[in-house]
Amino acid sequence: MQLMDYIDAKGMLDKYGIRSIESRYVNSAEQAVKFAGSDPIVMKVLSNKALHKSKSGLVLLDLRGKDEVKKAYAALLKKAKGLSPYKIIVQKMAGRGIEVIIGGRTDEQFGKVILLGLGGIYVEVFKDFALRICPIKEIDAKDMIKQLKSNSVITYNGKNEKMLTDLLLKVSKLLSSNATINELDLNPVILRENGYDVVDIRILK
Amino acid sequence: MAKMDLEPMMKPKSVAIIGASRDPDKVGHVILQNYINSGYPGRIFVVNKNADNVMGFKSYASIMDIKEKVDLAVIAIPAPYVPEALEECGKAKAKTAVVISGGFAEVGNKALQDELVKIAGKYKIPTMGPNCLGIMDPRSRVDTLFLPTYKLSRPQIGGVSFVSQSGAVGSAILDMISSEGFGLSKFISYGNAAHIDEVDILNYLIDDKETKVIVMYLEGIKRGKEFLEIARSATKAKPIIVLKAGRTSAGMQAAHSHTASLAGSYETNMALFTQFGFTIADDLNDLLYYAKAFESEPEPKGNRVAVITNGGGIGVIATDEVAASGNLKMAEFSQQTVDALKKTMPMLVNVRNPLDLAGDADGKRYEDAISAVMQDPDIDMIIVVTLFQTPGADSSVAAKLIHYKERSDKPMIGIAMGSEYTQVHKLMMESSGFPVYDSPAAAVKSLSELLKYKEYKGSH
Repeated sequence: MQLMDYIDAKGMLDKYGIRSIESRYVNSAEQAVKFAGSDPIVMKVLSNKALHKSKSGLVLLDLRGKDEVKKAYAALLKKAKGLSPYKIIVQKMAGRGIEVIIGGRTDEQFGKVILLGLGGIYVEVFKDFALRICPIKEIDAKDMIKQLKSNSVITYNGKNEKMLTDLLLKVSKLLSSNATINELDLNPVILRENGYDVVDIRILK
Repeated sequence: MAKMDLEPMMKPKSVAIIGASRDPDKVGHVILQNYINSGYPGRIFVVNKNADNVMGFKSYASIMDIKEKVDLAVIAIPAPYVPEALEECGKAKAKTAVVISGGFAEVGNKALQDELVKIAGKYKIPTMGPNCLGIMDPRSRVDTLFLPTYKLSRPQIGGVSFVSQSGAVGSAILDMISSEGFGLSKFISYGNAAHIDEVDILNYLIDDKETKVIVMYLEGIKRGKEFLEIARSATKAKPIIVLKAGRTSAGMQAAHSHTASLAGSYETNMALFTQFGFTIADDLNDLLYYAKAFESEPEPKGNRVAVITNGGGIGVIATDEVAASGNLKMAEFSQQTVDALKKTMPMLVNVRNPLDLAGDADGKRYEDAISAVMQDPDIDMIIVVTLFQTPGADSSVAAKLIHYKERSDKPMIGIAMGSEYTQVHKLMMESSGFPVYDSPAAAVKSLSELLKYKEYKGSH
């Protein structure tokens, strides 16, 4: 299985109207500074040799201002030396909100499946997730949200439910329309007061 | 793929038992004996080239020697001879076959099994097995099970069809059903699923008018895509209760993502069942609990439960279970019900839900309570606890319950716990279509599943 290039994966999401956080590759500290403008950003090293980015210290969060961004770039460049080929990506910081994971995979027997879980420890430790066979209908998406033991964390805000239902339907469509996707993780997806951000994307083909 | 016609297998006018034997140790002997015992009304033919006569039946050397049409050939001979026997069934234009014999893919002999499938395909004979217990239909009195009737009781006639790949689980369930008071439509143990598989069986049972509830014990699903296609609409036709083995199976492919590490093959099977309105059982007991509720009970109109009891404690436990069920709630009696009960109940009975009729409740008190609760428009389902250990609870209570059950358009189920005296009354009630559970938890989760299924049908 092969990890799809991040920006390509982002482009695929765009096509289905799935909004992910603004991201681009940079080749210099200046490019990173220009991308940031006046916003806080995240900077990461992407390399097949380091699959656990945050554990290897290859992710720097909440960088603010020219100096911090430049310093971060220099630091990551140094760490990335042994990881060639690598890329350095910058992303806008996501707003605060509820973290969920939306995923998919190809089941040998039944084809594409879609997963929803509350992010962080809920899905990992409590195995609190809902799964369906694609394509799903609106009622299935609603059932998925309802099925989560942690559903009240998500649905305390009525807007979240509608937003998440729409998002699940879009992801289901993306999965059903792309036979070559083996596995997909949108993790985390942050549900905010007035929208959502897909913060990290992994697509394995 | 075209639907396989299993009707001649379940309702055969004639049966040939290939391998019927005089030797009581042989499977073929037990099968023939069971056909005789069950009073099968069709023609029975014995095929055994080493005998002229088996248990009073003329023995044919080959099925091809039989002049009449054979609807069902039951094959119980050593594996290496099975392909030839099936070939002869084909030439004799037998309509269906059940291969009881083991010694195929389950012991690594895939080639022999493939040969069987080829022959079944060539002659278009729907073939069950190999390595299976086969089928049973108490209406047509077909019974290919090689388990003597003195060891395994046979259930009464009813609306539940039970499907199991595993013969061991199948026979255990069959034995358990026979001591429960609900009945069987079809029993199908399909073994290696070489030719007829889950998809064919499900297709047949969905159309089968005698089957009201389908109960499946599944180890694997052979044709995922086809199964998925039927599953999409199957539960619109009738409830399907499923127990899937392999919950803890470690046979998952290496996962590269969170999703793949969480959503293995068992979880995906469960997702399918949840999505398409199957009723999921967590163990064999659940299969029986749900089967009897679905067989006898009407659809609930809503989620409000009344509990009537002659033991306060059990009423409280049942109330807790209702609250914990996630979809049921305790009903509030309407004013009319409260007034009626105040008139008929003695002073010591507190008129509220759960309704504790007190330890001295007799048939009359149950009657007064049930007749009031049954008519209450604010009550959707009724649980009646009868502790037969108490002085007033005797056969007259059971008789009253049966009387009102027949007149109720609401689900009404019982809870009774105890030994012989209780069991006699339980059986009395169940054979009259009043399901009785041995714990509040079992009763409440059965009602909960009834409601879940009804709501699924209404919303999907």
